[in-house]
Amino acid sequence: MSRLAQRGGTAAATISTTALPMPSDDAICPVCKASRYWNSQVPMLMNPECYHKICKECVDRYFSHGPAPCPVAGCGKTLRRNRFRKQTFEDLQVEREIDIRKWLAGIFNRREDEFDSLKDYNDYLNQVEDWTYNLIQNIDVEATKKQINAYKEANQKDIAENVSLANQEHLTYEQRQAAEKQQARLRREAARREAEEERRIKEEGRNSILNKVASGEANLRDTNRVELKRASGRGPAKPQLTDPFLEDASKGAASPGFQIKGLKKRVQVAPEAPFDPFEGLLYKPQYHVVRDNYPWDFLDSTRKDIKHAAGGYDVAQYCARALCDAFSGLGVFIEDEIAAREGPPAPEVVEQAAAEAATSGISVDPKIKDDVF
Amino acid sequence: MAMALSPAQYIAASANDKAVVAKAKALTILSNNANSKPSTTTTATADLSEQLNEETRNRYEKGRKLGEGTYAVVFKGHLKSDPASLVAIKKIKINANYKDGLAMDAIREIKFLQELSHPNIIALHAVFTSKNLQLNLVLEFLPRGDLEMLIRDPKNVHYGLADIKAWMVMLSRAVYFCHQNFVLHRDIKPNNLLIAEDGEVKLADFGLARSFADPYEKMTFEVITRWYRPPELLYKARHYSGAIDVWSVGTVFAELILRKPWMTGTTDIDQIDHICQNCGTPLEENWPGVSKLDNYVPPAPSAIHPIPNKATWLGNFGTVGPQGVDLLRRMVTLDPSKRITARGVLEHEWWISDPRPTKKEQLPKKGGGEEKMGEDLKRTGRDFEADGRVDKVARKLFP
Repeated sequence: MSRLAQRGGTAAATISTTALPMPSDDAICPVCKASRYWNSQVPMLMNPECYHKICKECVDRYFSHGPAPCPVAGCGKTLRRNRFRKQTFEDLQVEREIDIRKWLAGIFNRREDEFDSLKDYNDYLNQVEDWTYNLIQNIDVEATKKQINAYKEANQKDIAENVSLANQEHLTYEQRQAAEKQQARLRREAARREAEEERRIKEEGRNSILNKVASGEANLRDTNRVELKRASGRGPAKPQLTDPFLEDASKGAASPGFQIKGLKKRVQVAPEAPFDPFEGLLYKPQYHVVRDNYPWDFLDSTRKDIKHAAGGYDVAQYCARALCDAFSGLGVFIEDEIAAREGPPAPEVVEQAAAEAATSGISVDPKIKDDVF
Repeated sequence: MAMALSPAQYIAASANDKAVVAKAKALTILSNNANSKPSTTTTATADLSEQLNEETRNRYEKGRKLGEGTYAVVFKGHLKSDPASLVAIKKIKINANYKDGLAMDAIREIKFLQELSHPNIIALHAVFTSKNLQLNLVLEFLPRGDLEMLIRDPKNVHYGLADIKAWMVMLSRAVYFCHQNFVLHRDIKPNNLLIAEDGEVKLADFGLARSFADPYEKMTFEVITRWYRPPELLYKARHYSGAIDVWSVGTVFAELILRKPWMTGTTDIDQIDHICQNCGTPLEENWPGVSKLDNYVPPAPSAIHPIPNKATWLGNFGTVGPQGVDLLRRMVTLDPSKRITARGVLEHEWWISDPRPTKKEQLPKKGGGEEKMGEDLKRTGRDFEADGRVDKVARKLFP
């Protein structure tokens, strides 16, 4: 996939768009007229530039010194040796269509999960298929190519990302591990380089201050201020880092023609919160404080009792329990809980109840109505 | 009951809210019943509690029998209003020993389960009586078996350090929650740790639970399955604390690592012997006052095992790393007053060290019988759905 994409990226834009050569007799090389009849070992090669078939010997001869025009009479397209290959399909139409599709598949590699809805994804696929059809049938080739290239320019980063995603899916575990290590190494190196750079700039700044002071050029205080400012500014010459997503988005908006609709906004996955063994259920009494010691003979005698101590009986736990029993009622707000459970009472209902009560002759305070006891 | 109020102070706890909501619901049912006409099934003379009981019983549909023990029969059931909401209905058998009352276990189970609401403790949805005044507990349906099943099946179940950590942290949370509400579980062992559909471990069987005792109030020492019983109970201590549960947690931890029960005494004396060999012989030096406990017999000087050093522990349990071994050693410290507390367990650094505990959904599970079938059925459904999905995507011609 990646190799395809790379190859496609550089060369596949030059897949022949003119009429294909007429299916000629397979067996004869149009250049040297060597027939397979005489020499069955020599394979025939073709180039997706013009799809003319030439025998391998002629290819070696003609193109060993770099690009050269196609030797077939009346063609003259510039061909390179590395793009010559064996024909896969007997029908050159099919061969060409496959080439075009491979090239486009390398560019239009968006995945379904990148889209908001299935319809958006299908619209996108439909658009791609339209262009593919245009290229295959030679309809509006130039315009189509322009649009495709504009898309490619605008979405270079996404394309590369999806390519690497596809690669990752194929990688085995070990390979992935190795790649991660490599990435980490690169990151470390970058960080180190940055630190080095910073240090160098600082050093330079300090040296120049020292030089100036040494040569008595300037007042120390002024120099200091200016140079420090320069050092901390880290130089305006350094290219500013911009958000690649923003940049991409603006490019995409600027490029005319094709806009992909319904692409999901990319969300950065929030890093996992540190593990909490208590799961948020750490107990802390709100309305009382448990002290370490209470002056009470009973507790002291328990503490001193050897059987309690040896059995692991915990007097502090007893105190905590007693205090909890005594004060827990302070944390219960029944009215709040009822309000939270039922939500604000609907005024109509209350009025209705009051009206009913009035007609039946019993006076009911609407506030007490909730409380059965 | 004092317990009812204690969860009220959890800062971020939903437990409290739930408990209150449950009570509020009970109140509304009660008030509805009082206001509305009695349902057709109850006679007009039935008193309020009978009406309530009837109401609760009619909410559940009892299904097929899942298992039967000496103490209870368990049925599968569901809410009548929602057949998808599965529950387990535990019907307590009328016990010959308690002819004129309820079985102690049942009372304890109801008393504590209805108060404790925590993700790692089995939920008690309702209680009702069926005919002959048989007690029925409506419990959370936990179809994935128990931890013991996973430990005892090394052929089909493979688990690692992160999985052990995940199970242990769930168990430790449950124990911490119990102790924080002043409840001693007193029967922690792998087959009382049930596994929910989503992999969550739930502490069950509160048949031996009790609340913390007052000073000089005697508690029984005949609790906790022998292999998981701490030395102070084997020495017949009558005054103990949460440290006994922590010991059990430690032995479960060791069992998870070893994949077999750790100290398997055949009698109480044999169990003490196992503890001496594995954790050192309890002496006055390492456990002040131990010789005053009722069942303590001073060992012959030749039979004294020293407390094993760190290297020995690492040799036996090294797979959980030095921090995990440290936690285990603290959990199975001989002297209960020096043993780590349930809160101390959760504050230990092992939990936050690498690797992070496995997410509960990804924990190893064991399929079997009905559950397996259910899974299979689900899978086919999903596949059909996937096929339908593919049909909707415009076909990509290449690649």
